[in-house]
Amino acid sequence: MNWILTKLVSRHSIIKINYRIVSPIILLCLLSLFLLNSTSAESAFIASTFSRQLLWLAMGVFVFIGAQLLRIQFFNEYAYHFYAILIIAILGTYFMPIKGGAQRWLIFGVLSIQPSEIGKVLMVFVLAKFLSDQRENSNHLRILILTILLALIPALMIFNQPDLGTAIIYLAITYPMLYWAGIRPYYLFIVVAPVISVLAAFNIIAFYLWMLLIILLSIYSQPKVLEGVILFVINVGCGLLTPYIWNNILYEHQRNRILTFLDPLRDSQGAGYQIIQSMTAIGSGGFWGTGLGQGTQTHLRYLPVRDTDFIISVSGEELGLFSILFILFSYTFFIYWMLVYAEKIRNNFSSLVMIGFVSILFVHLLVNMGMTVGLFPVTGLPAPFISYGGSFLLTCLLMIGLINNITNNEI
Amino acid sequence: MLAGTGLKFGQRRRVLFSISFVLLLGLAFRFYSIQIINYDSYSNKSAKNSVRKIIKTAPRGIIYDRNLVPIVDNRPTYGLSLVPYDVTKEFNYPLFEKITDLPKLEIKSKIESAKKRFSRFKPFPLKRHVDFEERSRIEENKLEFPGVNFSEFPARTYPNEARLTHVLGYLRTVTDEVLKKADPELNYQYGDVFGFNGLERIYEKHLRGQDGVEFRLVDIYGIDHGKYSTAREYEIEMGEPLILSIDSRLQMKAEYLLVDKKGSVICMNPENGEVLAFVSSPDYDLNSFIGPIPNKLWDQWNQNSEKPLMNRGIQGTYPPGSIIKLISAAYALDNNIIEENWSVLCNGAYSYGDRTFHCWNIAGHGHVDITQSIKYSCNIFYYKLIQIIGFENWAQIVSQFGFGKKTGIDIPGEKRGIVPTRKYMNDKYTSRGWGKGSLLNFVIGQGDMLATPQQVIQIMNLISTAGNSYEPHVKKGIDSKPLNISLKKSTWKFLKDATLAVVNDNDGTGKNANSIFGKVAGKTSTVQNPHGEDHSWFSGYITLPNNKIMSLAVIVENGGKGSETGASTARELFNEFAKLNK
Repeated sequence: MNWILTKLVSRHSIIKINYRIVSPIILLCLLSLFLLNSTSAESAFIASTFSRQLLWLAMGVFVFIGAQLLRIQFFNEYAYHFYAILIIAILGTYFMPIKGGAQRWLIFGVLSIQPSEIGKVLMVFVLAKFLSDQRENSNHLRILILTILLALIPALMIFNQPDLGTAIIYLAITYPMLYWAGIRPYYLFIVVAPVISVLAAFNIIAFYLWMLLIILLSIYSQPKVLEGVILFVINVGCGLLTPYIWNNILYEHQRNRILTFLDPLRDSQGAGYQIIQSMTAIGSGGFWGTGLGQGTQTHLRYLPVRDTDFIISVSGEELGLFSILFILFSYTFFIYWMLVYAEKIRNNFSSLVMIGFVSILFVHLLVNMGMTVGLFPVTGLPAPFISYGGSFLLTCLLMIGLINNITNNEI
Repeated sequence: MLAGTGLKFGQRRRVLFSISFVLLLGLAFRFYSIQIINYDSYSNKSAKNSVRKIIKTAPRGIIYDRNLVPIVDNRPTYGLSLVPYDVTKEFNYPLFEKITDLPKLEIKSKIESAKKRFSRFKPFPLKRHVDFEERSRIEENKLEFPGVNFSEFPARTYPNEARLTHVLGYLRTVTDEVLKKADPELNYQYGDVFGFNGLERIYEKHLRGQDGVEFRLVDIYGIDHGKYSTAREYEIEMGEPLILSIDSRLQMKAEYLLVDKKGSVICMNPENGEVLAFVSSPDYDLNSFIGPIPNKLWDQWNQNSEKPLMNRGIQGTYPPGSIIKLISAAYALDNNIIEENWSVLCNGAYSYGDRTFHCWNIAGHGHVDITQSIKYSCNIFYYKLIQIIGFENWAQIVSQFGFGKKTGIDIPGEKRGIVPTRKYMNDKYTSRGWGKGSLLNFVIGQGDMLATPQQVIQIMNLISTAGNSYEPHVKKGIDSKPLNISLKKSTWKFLKDATLAVVNDNDGTGKNANSIFGKVAGKTSTVQNPHGEDHSWFSGYITLPNNKIMSLAVIVENGGKGSETGASTARELFNEFAKLNK
């Protein structure tokens, strides 16, 4: 115990609040409280999401303060241990009872923990360590593949729980971190290219244009001839196989499921229902909104899961485009300073951790907000600091705490 | 770390920031397009979602008789619906079918598919016009039928013992064609009912109210959250009441007299054209269904050989028989064609051309003058008279009395009947196909001559008012058009005296119609019917001591002699009128 404390806790931490980081977060949390207070109008105070969120925020303040005491390099040193623990914990969920149609939780009596939640933070440490340990002249392709594999293993396990949204986060953070670590963008392109090939295969003109782009990019990036040829062949193969698989191997219901996932609005009675209601709520808000507590879609319960997944829709309906722009501006401000600090930090690990954390928050926000306006499928990812939800809020505030710590102690 | 330098980091920062900035900008534009550009369409959609338009069906106007006794009233009937979301596995479909007659498999599959739609919280209408009994039976078993829901709206009920069936008419549900043709002012909606026949049709605009519209906020579970105040509302406006000139007590008596008979009775006030009673028998039972008439029942009535749907008072065209002789007599006197003491020897038969025409009294009436010709209803007299009058003159005067054209009564579907003219006969039989002998049939109201009871009663209306009567109407207080014929005073006096003699003289054919309560005048007819027993007519009027007048026309199909069935039916009605108007 004593040993862990000496490793984990730094005695010389500078503790102060970096308002460039913390102020947008405080504003977003306040907005969240206003919105939850509105949606809680019909329920008793004690049971309301508003009062619970207040409680979680109070706990979050302690988490934030606690994070100031931590020695960041501890997570660098023991990242792989955390990785092992994470994998085991996720494995453990498979032996737990099903809750809400999924096995995402480790359940100990009344206490249930979702390892994949805190795992997002741990994953950032793991990738940050792996990438910061590489030497300048390493084989880029090898690093790329290993990094993606590191993330892919827990991601697939989480996808299987099933929890598509979280799995996406695990994969999504690899890209900005790889880019920050200096990998050649051409390799990043190689990984995405087949996915785009598959999508482009549905339109013959799009497919030809895409092939042309691949050739041009390959020439411009001047890879080894073999690499270029292999890339091209793989992409052509993907493109040619797609229609065959689509028409001959997939069943009608599977095709429908994929199409509905990509375009939920085509199934207005089923998957698209929530999104249609959400867009209706947002659209009826106008610029200034209907006023807190005045949104008919929100309060007459046409809007589904309004406290968590669709809290943005509540904001859109009751506080209008004004509040949406406020949210987007707050995040832009936050992202801007995160990147500035990530650049300034001398320690590669900490710098990569900054990029990882901002990626997590950004992807959550993008996917959640995109979902409410029908740009993305419903994946169940909440909007950080705005959606109701205890453990996710604590995770986010832990990240903010660590970021605050890093900006104080690692520059 | 790979080849990272400070400068390079700066580049990467700018790339990452640009990418995230562009993505957030994209989001912002998407929100802008939804919230600002498409604001109207989404706020409409939002209102559609949560604001439910509730149409409250306006009750139709109540129909009263002349003494303000309601004849047609409204009662609540119920619309049966199911809220698919609330229908559980426990729903007892077989019992539901037993009570409601709705096919269980069809209902089940409809509800199951409705459950998957997001309208699953809205009541799914199954049946309109459920009566109170059926509703009670469903309510008794409510636990077996989770999700069952009733709405209330008005339907017609007929509280009076007087049925007045053919006058009132009935309602049907609007169809596509009706919607297309209808006056936009009436603002018909699907599922509405409209007056298809009778007064319900003629006075549709008057009787039909204005449906109320209310907008209410409803949450996704269908729970009401109060009025939605920003939308325009319409208060429900009941249809205007309709007061009839019908006296339901006299009507009841008239209906009673025609039970199990075919025919028609019309009673009127000749001094203003008010119809006091109007019966067509057989009729149909307006109380045998709720709401609009079911197609099945309508078809059944439509195919019935007794023709209950036919309104015999204005659609039944019969040979009017001897009553029509009055017109020839009036013409002859008014135009001085004959002397008042001109007489004819009736020996029961009359040869014309190569045909022999008979009087109804085969023994003959002996010497008959014009008064006696009416009293005894002698045919031979008129066979001779018509030859003096001539076809054209006869047809013209008969038309003047209102035959061959609509009387203008405010009940739809009236027939014109036929007054044969030379042209009519030529068209029908070709100019060689008929002889002058036909004319001998027309003058006694037989052959091609056809008239409705509503036309026949007008003779008596004119006689009783000396040519100053009015067109008939059922709605009280209408200024109906005058029905005038100018004849000499002496002519009217003759007609009055002759018709009085028919009833009051011991040897008059109409003596069965006489009433001790007043002075009765009238004329019988017995119309030969090739298909069976003769049709029995009586048309006349009573003048009470207080000078109130009631005219009537009675026809009983296959009723035998007019002097018997027709006249005695008339007597009962005269007595009833006297009793009611003491």
